[in-house]
Amino acid sequence: MGSFRVAELSKLFRAGSLAVDHVTFAYEGAGAVGCLGPNGAGKTTLLKLLVGLLRPTQGHAFLNEIDPMVDRKGALWDVGALIETPEPYPTLNVHEALDAVGRSRGLSRDDVDREVDRCHELLDLPPLGQRIGWLSKGQRQRVSLAATLMGDPSVLLLDEPTSGLDPAERVLVRRLLNQLKRDHLVLMSSHQMLEVTEVCDQLIFLDHGRVLLRDRVDTVAARIRSRQVNVEFERPVAPGAMEGLRAIGAEIALVSEKRWRISFDGRDETRVRLLEICQTLGPVVQFANTSLVLEEAYLELIPKPVEPA
Amino acid sequence: MIQARTNPPEAARVDTIPRNRVSDFEQWRIVTLHQLGHYLRTNRFYGLVGFVALISALTLAGQVDAGIAAVQVQQLYRSSEYLSNGLMYTGLWVILAAAFFGGDALSVDFSTGAGYYMLVLPIKRPVLLAGRYAAATLVTLAVVGVNYLFDTAGAIYFFGAPSIPWALLADSLGIACLFALAALSVAFCVSAFVRSPPAGVLITILALYVGFTILQAVVELVGVEPWFSLTYAGGAMAAVLDTDFVHIQNIPLGEDQYYTIWVATVNEGLAIMASYVAVFLPLSAYLYQRKESTG
Repeated sequence: MGSFRVAELSKLFRAGSLAVDHVTFAYEGAGAVGCLGPNGAGKTTLLKLLVGLLRPTQGHAFLNEIDPMVDRKGALWDVGALIETPEPYPTLNVHEALDAVGRSRGLSRDDVDREVDRCHELLDLPPLGQRIGWLSKGQRQRVSLAATLMGDPSVLLLDEPTSGLDPAERVLVRRLLNQLKRDHLVLMSSHQMLEVTEVCDQLIFLDHGRVLLRDRVDTVAARIRSRQVNVEFERPVAPGAMEGLRAIGAEIALVSEKRWRISFDGRDETRVRLLEICQTLGPVVQFANTSLVLEEAYLELIPKPVEPA
Repeated sequence: MIQARTNPPEAARVDTIPRNRVSDFEQWRIVTLHQLGHYLRTNRFYGLVGFVALISALTLAGQVDAGIAAVQVQQLYRSSEYLSNGLMYTGLWVILAAAFFGGDALSVDFSTGAGYYMLVLPIKRPVLLAGRYAAATLVTLAVVGVNYLFDTAGAIYFFGAPSIPWALLADSLGIACLFALAALSVAFCVSAFVRSPPAGVLITILALYVGFTILQAVVELVGVEPWFSLTYAGGAMAAVLDTDFVHIQNIPLGEDQYYTIWVATVNEGLAIMASYVAVFLPLSAYLYQRKESTG
């Protein structure tokens, strides 16, 4: 059973920037925790602190209750970490790169081969005899992900795991993460709201190194109300007929012949009223939020950047 | 389902792959082989081996062209003298190999993504360092071995196999090993200190070869033995084979003025090299242990 915990963790870089500011949280068991935040929020720094790549200015990080600053080997023993863009030696082939990882994690030679085969199947790895230096960015990322999974560690720390992957590969990795979270503890940082929505059970919103919100995804979803819906009618609706929606304070925009985008105050009563009005205009094929709930939450929590003059 | 820390844990995972706790020694072996596999496929390895082979071959070809008699006269009819002179550039080869294989051995973890691959593994950093150090030593010795091979082949050709002082040659090779360890200790220390891999290689070459050579000449001018210099200590590799070894030579410059040249004795050389290992290797481990992946 894996766990990770940080207690009053802070990291002040020499340049004076406080990348992580008194962060405290703890998770154990199985599931996926998403770490969200804008660039520079401290997501990667937090992961680096967890695996001991950075030394905390204050506080402690624990992996499976072991501080990596005290016992790196013990702390990382049952942990797979994919941070930034790992680069195995370009001169080695895929099998050799994974073999070193598996062997150092205590797998026998036979188990390494079995694990490589498992990862090959899971991640559609490039040919095992191919040199790392000849692989594409996406292929290298999949090899790095395979290295993270070698030996089946109970805790997985993933820093934007689908970065550099094409859409099909991203779907593959998301499916894999959904399988893994059943019996692993996953902490993943991401900019992809869809990814976090699909994979994670819990959320940590970070900004300027501080935790703005930490909760279950469904709790956040219940709290955040979408302010925009897409309506699709069975038949085209005349723009004039839609004017009635403006009367209840909604903004309307024509997307296509049969589709409209409606912006409103986000209240449930308004949403019900909108649906009622739309149904009077013709058969409604679809009435759905335009954006993801997490995106709404993100925009609500994270201060908007100042627009250039 | 994921739990807060205070909640009871979920059921344990099933189908867990059996993993045995790996000893530091076993991990050292794995890292050494991993690193060696990398070094042996790099252009710098083939480049250095090729370069040393070319220079050694050209030297040997020139001697063969001069003829056996001429070489025997020049080397005072002694194979040991021939072998000793043939190792004139060995110190340079060791320093070049140490710089190329050690000068970026640790900085690569903090300037490229290599560190994000290796430093997140459950391996202690000193074990990683020791594995890379062992691999770098082996490839450095492979480069130097080419020089020894050509030198020995020449000695056999000009003086015959029975005349070769095999025990002294083995001693010289042993000293070359220690010299490689010392040079690599400095290179690893530089590598743990700087961030840029090319800078680590360059600084190692400049410090060990250019810097020490100039400093050695300057202190000799003022009559001080360069006991602090690793390149000075490297002279022991040839000195062990030199039957007419002279520790101090006074070259007259004028009336009552002499320029003194020191050549390290074997014991002196060994002591200096061992001191470099004793100081710089633990220092590299300390710096490497403390270094952060801030990039």
